[in-house]
Amino acid sequence: MTEHTITLRVNGLEESRTVPSNQTLLSFLRDTLDLTGAKEGCGEGECGSCIVLVDDKPVNSCLMLAVEADGCSVTTIEGIGDASRLHPLQSAFLAHTAVQCGFCTPGMILAGLALLRENPSPTEAEIRSALSGNLCRCTGYRQIIDAVLAAAAAMRGEAARAPEEKTG
Amino acid sequence: MSAPRWVGKDVPRVDGLEKVTGSARYTADLKFPRMLHAHVVRSPHAHARVLGVRTEKAERVPGVRAVATGREFPFHTGIYLKDQTIFAIDRARHVGDSIAAVAAETPEAAREAAALVEVDYEPLPANFDAVAGIGPDAPLVHPDLGAYECVPWIRPRGGTNICNHLKVRKGDYRRALAKCACVFENTFAVPQVQHVALETHVAVARADLSGRIEVHTSAQSPFTVRHLLAACFSMPHGDISVRVPAVGGGFGGKAGIGIEPIAVALAMKARGRWVRLLIDRPEEFYGTVVRQGLTATLTTGIDRSGKVQAQKMHYLWDCGAYGGYGVNIVRAAGYTCGGAYEFPNVEGDSIGVYTNRPVGSAYRGFGMQEIHWALEQQMDIVAREIGMDPADFRLLNCLGPGKSTVTGEVLGEEAGRVDECIRRVAEMIGMRENRPRSPNRGKGIACAVKAPAMPNDAASSVLLKYAEDGTLEVLISGIDIGQGLKTVAAQFAAEAMNMPIEKVRVRGNPDTDSFPYDWQTVASRQSWATGNAIFRAAEKIRDQLFATAAETLGVPASELAVEEENVVHAKSGRSIPITKLAMGYQFPDGHTIGGPVAAAGSFIPEGLIHLDPETSQSPKPVAKWTFGAQAVDVTVDPETGEYTVDRVAACYDVGRVIHPAMIAGQLYGGVVQGLGTGMMEELVVDPASGRVANASLVDYKIPTTEDLPREIRLDFVETPQADGPLGARGIGEHTMIPTPAAVANALFDACGIRILDLPITAEKVRAALKRKEKGG
Amino acid sequence: MLLSRFEYAAARTVEEAVSRWGESPGAAYLAGGTDLLTQMRIGKRAPRLLIDIKRIDDLSAIRERTNGDLSIGAAVPLAAIAEHPIVRERYPLLAECCTRVGARPLRSRATMIGNICNASPAADTAVALLALDAEAAACGPSGSRAIRIADFFTGPGETSLLPGELVTEVVLPLAASGWRGAYFRLSRRRGMDLATVGVLVARSNGEDPGRHRVALASVAPTPLRVPEAEACLDRNGAAAAPRAAEIAREACRPITDLRGTAAYRREMVGVLVRRGAAALDRRTK
Repeated sequence: MTEHTITLRVNGLEESRTVPSNQTLLSFLRDTLDLTGAKEGCGEGECGSCIVLVDDKPVNSCLMLAVEADGCSVTTIEGIGDASRLHPLQSAFLAHTAVQCGFCTPGMILAGLALLRENPSPTEAEIRSALSGNLCRCTGYRQIIDAVLAAAAAMRGEAARAPEEKTG
Repeated sequence: MSAPRWVGKDVPRVDGLEKVTGSARYTADLKFPRMLHAHVVRSPHAHARVLGVRTEKAERVPGVRAVATGREFPFHTGIYLKDQTIFAIDRARHVGDSIAAVAAETPEAAREAAALVEVDYEPLPANFDAVAGIGPDAPLVHPDLGAYECVPWIRPRGGTNICNHLKVRKGDYRRALAKCACVFENTFAVPQVQHVALETHVAVARADLSGRIEVHTSAQSPFTVRHLLAACFSMPHGDISVRVPAVGGGFGGKAGIGIEPIAVALAMKARGRWVRLLIDRPEEFYGTVVRQGLTATLTTGIDRSGKVQAQKMHYLWDCGAYGGYGVNIVRAAGYTCGGAYEFPNVEGDSIGVYTNRPVGSAYRGFGMQEIHWALEQQMDIVAREIGMDPADFRLLNCLGPGKSTVTGEVLGEEAGRVDECIRRVAEMIGMRENRPRSPNRGKGIACAVKAPAMPNDAASSVLLKYAEDGTLEVLISGIDIGQGLKTVAAQFAAEAMNMPIEKVRVRGNPDTDSFPYDWQTVASRQSWATGNAIFRAAEKIRDQLFATAAETLGVPASELAVEEENVVHAKSGRSIPITKLAMGYQFPDGHTIGGPVAAAGSFIPEGLIHLDPETSQSPKPVAKWTFGAQAVDVTVDPETGEYTVDRVAACYDVGRVIHPAMIAGQLYGGVVQGLGTGMMEELVVDPASGRVANASLVDYKIPTTEDLPREIRLDFVETPQADGPLGARGIGEHTMIPTPAAVANALFDACGIRILDLPITAEKVRAALKRKEKGG
Repeated sequence: MLLSRFEYAAARTVEEAVSRWGESPGAAYLAGGTDLLTQMRIGKRAPRLLIDIKRIDDLSAIRERTNGDLSIGAAVPLAAIAEHPIVRERYPLLAECCTRVGARPLRSRATMIGNICNASPAADTAVALLALDAEAAACGPSGSRAIRIADFFTGPGETSLLPGELVTEVVLPLAASGWRGAYFRLSRRRGMDLATVGVLVARSNGEDPGRHRVALASVAPTPLRVPEAEACLDRNGAAAAPRAAEIAREACRPITDLRGTAAYRREMVGVLVRRGAAALDRRTK
């Protein structure tokens, strides 16, 4: 069959659609559901811009078919927070100026979220390893790593510290 | 003067929320009704005559709505040298050169149809090497070079592969060289590399049935796109609208004009339908633009004190198949060939050479990282040979107030302090510590300089206007490509109007129909140029507010000030909220004066003098210089050649730190991008076919989180730029310029080997160590 | 980067998967899909039908057999293998090699068995499976059989699987548990990359012959063990590291490609085998 009806939860909402076999999960999210936070940066699982959570696991959605997501629960960047209530990772990325062009940001935040759910107290080395599949050409990663460390602390309920002075 | 209120502070990025929530819309996120999908037919040959293009089979594929070929659109384009047509017409000049394009209802149909376009090629001898390209037997990539239009300050040589040649002649090089105590000559090489912005190139165009063109594009220069489209298609500027949504990185690869002409050509044939051309990642490497390659030979003559008296630079640039933008890199590198040093006698030749390789164009640094790779190692080689500390050697020879550059420009007090930058990074990295020498560990230093390489009339303008609630809207056509321009604009506007920054809204997604002109977002010029324009516009806004307020309060305008969204008269203590003035002021009896307050501001660099055509001498060739330095320490594993950059120290004279966290981001990002080009990046072109062999992120590697050095320390000097907003100059490109040379210098310090060609791979280090072990 | 059209079917049992293949020869089995989809995008493979094996319960588990062997199902992703308590305790080398494939998001989907079926000479999991004497179980149109990992790889991208054969599990023998050592890997950057050279050196806790393993990736048409180097270490222990390194250098057949030259790879095999062997003493106490 070249078309299939799939039913899945996306950001907590049930979606049921008929999709062609060759549509990727990334395209389903972006083109069918207009959830354009996930991006196509390479189409071959090298850049991480397409990362979403599938059943809480970080996944390159450009390498997954929509049909494979039948019955799954998908979380995209649109599902974790908004201006009225940001996720601690989103707040931390803002506070630590870990965003420049923003193209890698949704995938980066979700990869960070997957890490923190598995490991609430990661070391810097563990953060580097968990994010090694997310390319960023703008930031040089330093402030991103700092943001994930800060978000981890916030999620553990620790008091927020101001971003460290890095200049002067 | 009191400390600024917003400038110098870590205000939240004004575009941060939309980016962390995934709400920012980039060009490929936009939805257009019944949009057609485009695919480009590309030459499989590096060099070939195109004898014929037949599209009948392609046109018959179901879903195909438009096919465009070169002969239908025989228009040359090019920002400085018009050497490229929208599609190759008679001749394909590199593997990937665009020959035709198809627009269809689905991407599959477009691809299928593109494969059915029939092209008759007659392969020609190809050349992939710039050095060979200037030889007498080299195949000519552009036989009609002499007939191409170009700006007067670019000098192509018809009948050759030389697309530009800039000469620098200062003092008397040969005479000075003859008197030198020691002379050193070395040749360095830099391959082509690619920008790898995370967002690939994409443009969506429509030519509606009234003849108007609308283009949505991921671009750094909407007005340049409009200008070149107008020239290319012989249309009035006013009938072309170019719009830029969020941009996922540019790094120069989206400067000038790019894939828009192809999208527009298809749109013109598709009669009212939207056409999207979306470049996928492999196509980025051979179907867009790359950074030029360089072979640089440097000759340095010093006197007994270690001062350089004679310096010769010979640059051969691999410009690839087209040089429309690249010719200016050839020029800028030429007039900056002295780097951060004072060389009294100079012979410099910067030569751009066409090859049948992917197209070289603007890339962060605009030739500077490439020439500093050579220059900063050369300075290090000389210092080591004469037994002088590398930092001291640089301090002895570097530029500063009162010293003159290779073009004879005498720098003023405000030019910036590279000496201070050198001192600080040397100290931060511990270069002169009395340390026991650890085997296989070393430290290296390199300095850097760049000026904007722009036409003398490159200008920026802005519009400021109020909303009814006192929100100040700031319309800029500079593009936030990630560097934080929208936030900087908000800081400057809030500063200029002494108002809460939360009440500023920067509109930075321009539509050329309704936004004020800006030349381009390149050259590290935006904070400076758009910043100045904002302050000038703000002055006019204040004038308008004061004019109305003066009348309502019955006081001289000169006694008024703005404070916290009010116009205040300090003498009497009276004030009027701006909300009552911004739309006009209504007296109690109904009489209204004033009107909606809005103003434009513009900035154009003044006093720039053209370079002398034979010697490149000019007392003021560029608007501003930004100097800096970096130092690194490395640990080498001599058995494998692997090495780690443990720490980096960087210091730049930026005039004024506008936003500490964002400037840190520019430094971290630039250093890491610099490490990428230094350690792992290279466009590999198959020498037989000319095909890019690593057109994929699997084999074109850029740094990841695991490749980030353990520590990056930053410092800034603030020597105010006289014509900069609050003294700011530029920094966006400079942060990646000296990094590879610093690494190479550190490797020499660590284990006595020198790598002269980028990238510095483990294999090259190991090979150099083996040669050294054998006494080579 | 387009995927051309194809049909998709999710099998519920191994029999159903094999039977569907029989109806549509040229179909591809779909596990993690990370290699398959990438290859389809560049036109290297163009199956008309993808048979998804991830809904087959039997293939989705890691199970300890009654004899103590550990069975890893074909559909188990690398991340799950690397995190599994028995794998971490008894076969730490496999856990380590699994974590060297790609990056975390890739490992959520990519499977170990997919990694070996793709049969890249650089397959990181292959060196561990070779060292641990693993065995694959395959099921195809002609029935089921076991294939020793040593017999599995036949060339770059080629295996001894017959058309239509589906690897259902890989079994790690109880005898291989407790093997210790390390996987040394050179690549173009520290982050996610294919190995330029991969060297695994390991030993068991006993003193019997056959207690050493030297396995190489990315330096021959297939991942391979170097039995002569292993025997050399058996005879003389860590002191034989330089000689074992020389043997390994001579045994490998590297090529020059984008990641490195043949000469560099050969030299590095020697360096890494020597280091790996010398380190064994310290590791197995």
